[in-house]
Amino acid sequence: MVDFLTLGFLQRSLMAAVLTGGVCAAIGVFVVLRGLAFIGAGTAHAAFAGVALAYLLGGPPMPFAIAFGLGTAWITGLLEERGRMKLDVSIGISYTATMALAILFIGLMKTYNAEVYGYLFGSILSVTADELKLTAGLAAVVIGLLALFAKEFFFLAFDQEMAEASGVPARRFFFLLLTLVALTIVVSLKTVGAILVFALLLIPAATAYQLTSSLHRMMAYSVAIGVLVSVAGVLLSFQFDLPTGPAIVLLATGVFFVAVALSPKRAPKPALS
Amino acid sequence: MAHPRPAHTHPHHADHEHGKPLIRFDHASFRYPQGPALEDITLEIADGEFVGVIGPNGSGKTTMLRAILGLMPPTTGSLQIFDCACQNLRCHHRARIGYLPQKRTVDPNFPITVHEAVLMGRSGAIGLWKRPGKADLAIVRHALEDVGMEDYDDHPLGALSGGQQQRVFIARALAQHPQILLLDEPTTGIDTTTQHNVLDLIQRLHEELHLTIVLVSHDINLIAPLAERLALLKTRLYALGSAKQVLTKEILARVYGPQILTTDTGHVIVADHHHN
Ligand SMILES: Nc1ncnc2c1ncn2[C@@H]1O[C@H](COP(=O)(O)OP(=O)(O)O)[C@@H](O)[C@H]1O
Ligand SMILES: [Mg+2]
Repeated sequence: MVDFLTLGFLQRSLMAAVLTGGVCAAIGVFVVLRGLAFIGAGTAHAAFAGVALAYLLGGPPMPFAIAFGLGTAWITGLLEERGRMKLDVSIGISYTATMALAILFIGLMKTYNAEVYGYLFGSILSVTADELKLTAGLAAVVIGLLALFAKEFFFLAFDQEMAEASGVPARRFFFLLLTLVALTIVVSLKTVGAILVFALLLIPAATAYQLTSSLHRMMAYSVAIGVLVSVAGVLLSFQFDLPTGPAIVLLATGVFFVAVALSPKRAPKPALS
Repeated sequence: MAHPRPAHTHPHHADHEHGKPLIRFDHASFRYPQGPALEDITLEIADGEFVGVIGPNGSGKTTMLRAILGLMPPTTGSLQIFDCACQNLRCHHRARIGYLPQKRTVDPNFPITVHEAVLMGRSGAIGLWKRPGKADLAIVRHALEDVGMEDYDDHPLGALSGGQQQRVFIARALAQHPQILLLDEPTTGIDTTTQHNVLDLIQRLHEELHLTIVLVSHDINLIAPLAERLALLKTRLYALGSAKQVLTKEILARVYGPQILTTDTGHVIVADHHHN
């Protein structure tokens, strides 16, 4: 276990873990606070359908994943905004429809393509230098925009109508947030995969939620947890020859339950007057 | 030749000098998909005025405030705020309107401190691309002092009592340094002592900072002594004027029905009182 840090592929995997874990955990704070969890799930499936279509047509997977992911995130966002239908119903529909599309595209392929499944379950140990660059680029965009507009996103998460009324262009920021969620998911497809990215979005943020009563501290804790479990997951999976995605997710789940057990928020609430 | 202006040109404004109109409803109607909420409202509110909006549940009081915030365009007629049609209200206009919404139930677990919540009030004034600076932090501290909550800076908002949360949200509105303050049922859900503290605070803000205040309440007796003018709503504007002019048996009976009682002391009692 001494000199594995010199191994190129492991260095790349760890870099990818830091980036994916950090970005997912940061954007995850808003996903958890704003109740967008299922938009995340629908978007992940849609992005995977995009990848499947790319392989079917012989195109580049990333642009297809981005187009499908963004399209689904925006449509679900519009549905939520209109409030015409119960959100869980509309998301349930988009969630299954996009998965059905993915399965259809895979079925239409004449040959079995193992690479496609890499995007479903992730393959962080086989990340190439080019993929790492793309991940780093998208991560920089997402983190940069989050940092730039932190006060707007926090306000939006707390109370969107109030933000709007106080002079924040809340609607635009809501769609920017959906866009960043979609980009984050696409970034994570190759590393943790379409199924498990959902866990990386939710668990670090939900864990941080248990531990603090400050928005800014929740963000800091969430990113720290996301990065730590991702790195630890990669190291564990390398050491014990385990699949990486599940190692990261199960580690995160363990941390979450420890946080729930220790949460200061479980103290009894004072009576409201 | 310039003549000296006679002291009391307008009998209605004999005791108060108010500036130009800031809010102008002109035959404005507002509706939700389910139906009309306000119809044919004509009302001007001048700079520095304190207007109380009263009316039974569902009479459109909250809708009126949402309209002033530019959140609801009129379906007919017009509404101008700061000389700007409310549909075109820009962010810098909105930043000058402080708002205490009616529904203020805070998820007790939502991770936000008192300081963070009040600082949000500065968002519009700070503008995009910029972070809060020293001046903003000073304004937040000052706003918390105004409402007597300066010792709770780092407390979780969700752990405070209803009355304390109320004061924090008023501080948030004050931190905007607003020109107009809109308050939707600021005294519901808090105990009587706190109610009076909150109303005293509002009165002081009006007198010291010359804030234009539009206060909504279904509790007529609470706002009648405070407001300079009362607007009585029930989808339409039934009456507008001083408490004496508006709170007459005839007008109240038309809006509230025969259950209304007025006592000798001027108190109004609505028998069918299932508001929240
Ligand atoms: N978001 C909404 N969607 C649809 N109808 C609404 C909405 N808010 C209020 N209404 C309706 O508009 C009317 C006026 O409501 P509101 O302005 O909240 O009255 P008040 O504040 O005086 O109780 C009511 O009939 C209410 O049912
Ligand atoms: Mg109301």
